[in-house]
Amino acid sequence: MSTAGTNIFVRIYWAATVAMFALALAVLFTYTPTESTMGPIQKIFYLHLPIAISTFIACMVSFIASIGYLSTRKTEWDELAAASAWVAVQLCSVVLITGMLWARGAWGLWWTWSPRLTFSLVLWLLYVVYLMIRMSIESTERRAIVGAVYGLIAFLDVPLVYLSVRLMPDMHPTSVELAWPMKLTLMAWFVPVFMLAGGLIAAKTVLNRRQGEPSPSVAGFPAFPARGAL
Amino acid sequence: MTRAISQFSLLVRKDLRIESRSRQTIGLVTVLGVLVVSVLGLGLGAASNVAGFSATAVLWVAYLFSGVLCFEKTMAVERNDGVLAGLLMAPLDRGLIYLSKLASNLILMIAVAAVVTPVGILFFGFDLSAAPGTFVAVMALSIIGFASIGTLFSAVVSSTRLQGGLLAMMLFPIVLPLVITSTQLMLHTFRDGQPASGGAVGVIVAFDVIFMTVSWIVFEWVLEP
Repeated sequence: MSTAGTNIFVRIYWAATVAMFALALAVLFTYTPTESTMGPIQKIFYLHLPIAISTFIACMVSFIASIGYLSTRKTEWDELAAASAWVAVQLCSVVLITGMLWARGAWGLWWTWSPRLTFSLVLWLLYVVYLMIRMSIESTERRAIVGAVYGLIAFLDVPLVYLSVRLMPDMHPTSVELAWPMKLTLMAWFVPVFMLAGGLIAAKTVLNRRQGEPSPSVAGFPAFPARGAL
Repeated sequence: MTRAISQFSLLVRKDLRIESRSRQTIGLVTVLGVLVVSVLGLGLGAASNVAGFSATAVLWVAYLFSGVLCFEKTMAVERNDGVLAGLLMAPLDRGLIYLSKLASNLILMIAVAAVVTPVGILFFGFDLSAAPGTFVAVMALSIIGFASIGTLFSAVVSSTRLQGGLLAMMLFPIVLPLVITSTQLMLHTFRDGQPASGGAVGVIVAFDVIFMTVSWIVFEWVLEP
């Protein structure tokens, strides 16, 4: 696809994402019933759950891209792995913040060491460290190898973290029964959140690729070396 | 196979001989572990509401800091006088280098734990009489997992010449499943009087098996003279 064609596609994609978010908000405030026990604060759930699942998908993309890099040594995989991990951190931050707001509204506590909150925190820590490690290594090749190895191990750690936090006492209800309007609202929120996550991963991958390219030399000065995907 | 075992044994003996002659790591790491337990004992132990089984969490803090220092020091030895470059040029499987380094680190960590653990138990008044075998088995299995991943990351940090502190940053979030599982297991066993659940022990064993295998496979990619 030509550059102009790509630009139009990107604009349409982001416009559609914004439109879907607007629709989801409209559904949330006009159609969705208020939950009887927790009240209006429960509405944060419709954002919280899709973002939590998107975080996990972003981590999985980073894991697959890490394996892709280790088996092929192509920088495209490394750029995708770094971009997905970056998006996972951003999304996981939103999960933590919405989770804390919800906990405050529902239980009167900003933080409790419940399994799900702990799981989100550990996931966030794992991928923040991934980004920190990448920022600390100057050599592009070493950064890609170390990043891929850490990305691989961090994702393998996720199910172990999940199993270990299940041993902790839980305040969350074991299962939530949603009425049909609530299920429809949840579906309406999944679409824009998935579009946002996918769009961010694609945009960050392109950005990483551009940062990896050497800058053009200006007026006889030598070009700056490539910075590489962070 | 016999050749691999003799090479493995040679590499482990080399590490232990260097340590026995220089005594650079074991003394330093043990004193650090005792210091951590003492500082936390002074800070927490004075409070009357700290139960004995909190010693597990305190011991983990000591193991984590001691372990990081131990792994850094044992890998730094390989950097001196181009030992690592020599090892990489030798007709050795690099996975074998990982396994021998892991064995050396494990021997050192068990020696450190043998000193630090009784100190922690003593300072916090942790009564182990209900299930001493469970405590020893859980902590030993956890240390194996910790050393497995610590050995790999110490090679990563060493080969990229990253600044100190990064090894701790890399290791701590990864080993959290071990910390959470072992502390929860101790609470269930010593506070609630329940037997150790197979599922919880399974998490620790799974951690050990997964990360030992993965580290053994990827070690050759991260190693660089």
